[in-house]
Amino acid sequence: MRTLDENETTLVFEKLFKFTGNNLKNIVESPSHEGPDREPGRYCFRLNKNRVYYVSESLVRRATNVGRENLVSLGTCIGKFTQSGKFHLIIQALGILAGNAKHKVWLKPTSEMSFLYGNHVLKGGVGRITDSINPGDGVVVFSMSDVPLGFGIAARSTQDCRKVDPNANVVLHLADIGEYLRMEDEL
Amino acid sequence: METVDLGHLMAFDPTHQFSSLPSSREELVESCLQKGRELVQAVANALFSLPSTEDLDGPIVKLPPPTTKLPREKHLPKPKPPTKWETFAKMKGIKKHKKDKVVWDEQTSAWKRRYGYDRVNDDQDIPIIEAKSTDEPGEDPFAKRRADKRKRVDKQEKNRVQNLKEAAKFGALPSHVQLAATALPITGTQAAPKKVSKNELGDVAGIAATATASGGKFDKKLEGEKKPKHDHKHRKFLPVAEGKGLGSKEKEQTDRVLNKLISKNSHEILNIDKAITMYNVKKEKKRRNQRGDSATSTSSKLKPKKNLQKKSSNKKGPSSSKKAKSKSK
Repeated sequence: MRTLDENETTLVFEKLFKFTGNNLKNIVESPSHEGPDREPGRYCFRLNKNRVYYVSESLVRRATNVGRENLVSLGTCIGKFTQSGKFHLIIQALGILAGNAKHKVWLKPTSEMSFLYGNHVLKGGVGRITDSINPGDGVVVFSMSDVPLGFGIAARSTQDCRKVDPNANVVLHLADIGEYLRMEDEL
Repeated sequence: METVDLGHLMAFDPTHQFSSLPSSREELVESCLQKGRELVQAVANALFSLPSTEDLDGPIVKLPPPTTKLPREKHLPKPKPPTKWETFAKMKGIKKHKKDKVVWDEQTSAWKRRYGYDRVNDDQDIPIIEAKSTDEPGEDPFAKRRADKRKRVDKQEKNRVQNLKEAAKFGALPSHVQLAATALPITGTQAAPKKVSKNELGDVAGIAATATASGGKFDKKLEGEKKPKHDHKHRKFLPVAEGKGLGSKEKEQTDRVLNKLISKNSHEILNIDKAITMYNVKKEKKRRNQRGDSATSTSSKLKPKKNLQKKSSNKKGPSSSKKAKSKSK
């Protein structure tokens, strides 16, 4: 387990910024009440075996007792660095993304299942969408009852969405909570 | 009686004699120690009788110059054998006499150095050379002059080395030449055989050990052989947990990255489309209010204020405010 260096921090933050915008500040500065400490600590990002974890600092201090080889996971794993050095978010990051999301899409109940099987979100399945989305922005996908289902990348801007035909992709799938079943071993 | 030489912090007793030669070695040591103690005491007494200045660490005295002449550590330098010119000059009776360092230069009518850069009668100052009848055709007089100069310099260097060789035979090389003697082409001076130091040996062994395709990773290690030194820099990371609370450096780093990111995207804060629609909606509302009776104007004034308060209180949960906006749309 180690801290991220400056380049890695920039990569991680840029990716999170796509989804959260200025709410990234909340993620970085939110206080943690974990552990026996009286004063609230903070959350921080730690890297172990190419995976990035979002951990409270009290947990980090306790985890220093565990060797790098033996440490399987700590806190919330939010993503991993690929061999080529890019940063990918994984489904477990949904928790912190959903609370601070800038762009959101709500799915109709009929199209929820399709998304949870790993398909892109079609225009026909969109129940509601926040405005001022630009193509390429990170979007968090919710069910109509405000349950976060996953996240993806916007394929079109909000304005374009009104015009396109119902079979066009609106959100390109990145991760969904169906992965907890489909890819149980890899998570 | 002791004589004390404070310059060397030394005292001795030239008149001391053992009254009777001590019988055993212990006694001899004992009496020597006693005499030594007396002498040290004499030095101490003399020291404390000197005028002193007070300092934090105690009194400080200035020692007088030493009076005892100690013998030289190294032998006297051997006389240098005369150089070829010196022998020649002695034979001819040529005497050295002093010359001025600067000379009046007729050409430039200025005082110039006798030798070296910017000297009197410098060849470089002559731009034109008159042709003579003895000149060979097709020869550059300037190039010839340069070549002649080079030749003279080389000859002088040869003479110098020859004289040094002669001096080396007598063991009278000047010390500064001795240090560089291995670099000089002097036969007869032997470079001290170089002993390979332990570190150098280790370096060579390390180079040999890593000279395989795998960098020596899979080679059998000899007994006592150390791992090859890793000559690139290790990456340094901030501490995982620094004392109590997060390391201040890590906080600094995250803040720096965060601020950079936010300032880079600050132009996105103003959403023009949104601003225009909001402006239009407000206008519409105003118009509707004006059309309506003036009695309700007070209540309509209150409404936007309420909205403002809601917005400020809902700042923490942006999701809820957005939902409200999208609903209102």
